[in-house]
Amino acid sequence: MGHIAEEERMGVAMTVRAAEPRRAAREELELAERAGAGDAEAFGELFERHRHKARGLAERLTGDAHMADDVVQDALIRAFLHLGTLADTSRLLPWFFRIVRNQANMKLRRGGPYRKERPFNSLAAPGGRDAAAADWDDLDSILSRLAGRASQEAASSQDPAALLLRKETYETIHALLHCLSGKERGIFTAYFFRQLRPEEIAGMYGMTTGSIYTYIHRSRQKLRQEHIRASLGLMPDAKRGAGMENGKLLELAAGEGDQPKLFTLASSLGRILRTNGEPRSGAELMGTSGLAFRMSISEKTTFSDGLYIFDWRSSIQELMAGYGYETAFCCGQLADSPVPLLGAVESFPVVLPIEEAVLPFIRSRIDAGLPVLYFDTLASRPFIHEWSVIYGYDDKRRIVHVTDPVQSTGKMLAYEDVADNPIRFLAAFSRKGNRSPVSRPAADSEAERRFAHAVRYGISFANEGSRYRPRTSYLSYATGLAAYGAWIRHLADPDTAPNRYGMGQLAAAYAEAKRYAGEYLRAAPLRGEAMRMALLASEAYEQAALALEELSLQVPFVKTAEVMPPGLREGCISLLRKAKRFESAAVGYMEQAWKRRIEERDGEDEEA
Amino acid sequence: MEKMRKLRFMTEFTNLKRLAAAKESFEQLYPEVEVVIEQSADHFESLRAYRSDEAPDIIESGGWALFNREGMFVDLNPYVEQSGMEADLYSGPLAIARHNGTLPGLPVDMSVPLLVFNKEMFDKAGLPYPEDDWTWEQFVEAAKKLTIRGDDGVAVQFGFGIGVDIEWYEPFVFRNGGTYLSPDGRTARGYVDSPETIGAMQNIIDAYRVHGIIRKPKEPSAAGQLHEGFAMIFGFMWFAGDLIHHGIDDRFGVARLPRLAEGRNGNMIYMGGAGITGKSQHPGLAWDFLRHYLVDSHSWPLPISRSQAEERGLHEHRIWSRYLEELQHAQPSGFYLNEKWNSSRQLINEDMESMIVDGADVAKTLRSWTRFA
Repeated sequence: MGHIAEEERMGVAMTVRAAEPRRAAREELELAERAGAGDAEAFGELFERHRHKARGLAERLTGDAHMADDVVQDALIRAFLHLGTLADTSRLLPWFFRIVRNQANMKLRRGGPYRKERPFNSLAAPGGRDAAAADWDDLDSILSRLAGRASQEAASSQDPAALLLRKETYETIHALLHCLSGKERGIFTAYFFRQLRPEEIAGMYGMTTGSIYTYIHRSRQKLRQEHIRASLGLMPDAKRGAGMENGKLLELAAGEGDQPKLFTLASSLGRILRTNGEPRSGAELMGTSGLAFRMSISEKTTFSDGLYIFDWRSSIQELMAGYGYETAFCCGQLADSPVPLLGAVESFPVVLPIEEAVLPFIRSRIDAGLPVLYFDTLASRPFIHEWSVIYGYDDKRRIVHVTDPVQSTGKMLAYEDVADNPIRFLAAFSRKGNRSPVSRPAADSEAERRFAHAVRYGISFANEGSRYRPRTSYLSYATGLAAYGAWIRHLADPDTAPNRYGMGQLAAAYAEAKRYAGEYLRAAPLRGEAMRMALLASEAYEQAALALEELSLQVPFVKTAEVMPPGLREGCISLLRKAKRFESAAVGYMEQAWKRRIEERDGEDEEA
Repeated sequence: MEKMRKLRFMTEFTNLKRLAAAKESFEQLYPEVEVVIEQSADHFESLRAYRSDEAPDIIESGGWALFNREGMFVDLNPYVEQSGMEADLYSGPLAIARHNGTLPGLPVDMSVPLLVFNKEMFDKAGLPYPEDDWTWEQFVEAAKKLTIRGDDGVAVQFGFGIGVDIEWYEPFVFRNGGTYLSPDGRTARGYVDSPETIGAMQNIIDAYRVHGIIRKPKEPSAAGQLHEGFAMIFGFMWFAGDLIHHGIDDRFGVARLPRLAEGRNGNMIYMGGAGITGKSQHPGLAWDFLRHYLVDSHSWPLPISRSQAEERGLHEHRIWSRYLEELQHAQPSGFYLNEKWNSSRQLINEDMESMIVDGADVAKTLRSWTRFA
């Protein structure tokens, strides 16, 4: 990084030159201090004094007068955005010149401004303009920096933007604001432009401060999406056409008591099936989907991600195909937001955070009366992200209606939240062919087929583990009965800290899973000795569930960032050992049941 | 007594032994301060914690993606400058940390790959040990002699061990004068499809398909684990650490990766970071702790500071000294520069497998990757 040293030399030289008249030096130091504290006026004055030097440097580096103007403008904005991060205000000028140099290098590497992309202004603002005044990748930062100023009462009467940003920057922001509703626009401008504090705005609108923050957050999301939309040449919201707004709310069957609380994939699919007039018990869904028999623990520590690591698409497709449905997916991941559960979504394509890419899927299904399975990363606490069901949309209010594991009456999500979800995973199910009445023997035989498949899957998963393995090299999971070993290792290792939050969810979820496994096996379509073995397996799963429920009492599923205290570990280990003993026995009985079933079948065939 | 100040430190790592030790010694130095260690499962949870009303003062993350988020972390450049420790820090990783202009975090858990070789296998084959200036051709020739297959064609020993991961081939691309992306990360066009990058990738695919020196995905093997049946290994610091931990490091030697073009020495680096969040109410105190944890305390296998490496005798260590030296050659990989590229890596790896297993055309495949950035 030779150029850094060079910049620093230059920075020092500039400081020395500027320091020649003592008064000027004192003034500048004062200005720098004021600017560092967020005083935009001081910032503006300080940089006006050095603008020509900065421009000279930029021109020398880029060899282009026009590009130099852009470089200085961008550097000013960047400097303003990052001002709060500068510890020593006396280094403000050298730092600023370093930014100028970096910006110049960046522009040169890019082969001039916007070599790759069309300037956003020219698309979004009427009449088109020259190169954008602001770095639009930094829209969020520009706004948050302005918002930061708003919190400083001393500056509340000033308009820092006027001193800093060229007029067209503001015009462009204003041009974008059409995507906001009247109220959103009012709150947004009060906050960002009039620099009012959230408490004041809350007073004006008779709302809580918390909801003002929600409005501001949503407005920023909308602006970001509008920016992408404009850069793609999509029609801005305002021009989408009046009278085209639609909406529909499906009557979703109520969530019944026997449905899983922690396995929201099973309960969500259960609600969809019930809504379609095909009720399935929680035990059947958990058993048939294999969720009751799966156990997966991260090799890192007791994070709860193992609960979600499997092939989502094929598991859902296979389960629903068994019930006679075809599945359509809409899935992807966002590039600019951290994505949870990488091990499950690592191969999803990168998609854009715009409504146009996701809302049509929802609208078309809901219009056809089909609820949509949705992976919600805004699930209510203590959940982090869960499967849910979208059962309605409203273009006018720009919201979808969605279920939530905690809010029994459901909730609403803004279109922006759906488009901005870092994991895009939606599935809709349509019946294959016509639904004709099924005869009792045929239904029994179908149920038996599903049971046989589930038991084989359960035995194989317990003994051999999951066939699904993430490609991401640093993610691995212990699966099946081996998962207990990993879980116990995490608790026994004095060097690693078991994750308390994740452990709470693991204990609660796996206790629920074992409980369902027991229930599923109790209703097995078996006879004779095979059934006796299935009942023994069921009892053993119940005992495993009891041990894990006790664990769940010790480490409850609550939102916490705390590290687990060492004193708790020993008791947890003994409960896990107990659960493992019972589950190992359960798997052994399942194997016996399966063996007897085959023998009995063979015997029946021979008799026949 | 002064009011107790809390410094909240959120980490995505699970081995907290060194962090807990640093907390304890720091609290002795600053009796009025309590360092609260909190855990987060991943970047998603860390970002959510940052966005909440109770943002942590420091976030220690296993990757660099969060540090690319504008404004989330305080620029540490002035702190580094004021403390006068610039010259003491390894400049290779620091330059990567500064790729956006600011220094949003100090690197932690740094790991670079080297060529780890099994001395006994070389001795048995009567071959000289790999040298730091080995060319790709010398490397392939040796690997061919070191790949031993049974009558059934199943290898009992492979010449080279490396997994299928686009990130792990990048050092060879660098060492052929290519890159995946432009220096600012904005495009892959003109870079991933350049003759240098395609040439390097063709060499790698040939190593699998033509020379048979690397185990293909799902290829039957009797070579066991990496430390058992592989003459040369693409070995990160973590691998070397395991060899040392299990007391078998004396069986192995370490050299630089082979070079594909004259004068090209670049390498990749994996690193996480620890930075002070923009919402911290005590950035100065947070810096004091960060410095105490990462510079003054012996917290990570490869320290960021030369003086700590000196103090721990790492510069004299046969293996660690090589990894420390290699830090200087680290270049920013594509995954640091472009999130779309980073997020698409498993789709890219699927294509890699098609080239290795099915013989998909290399140039054509790489040209198609321009869609990922």
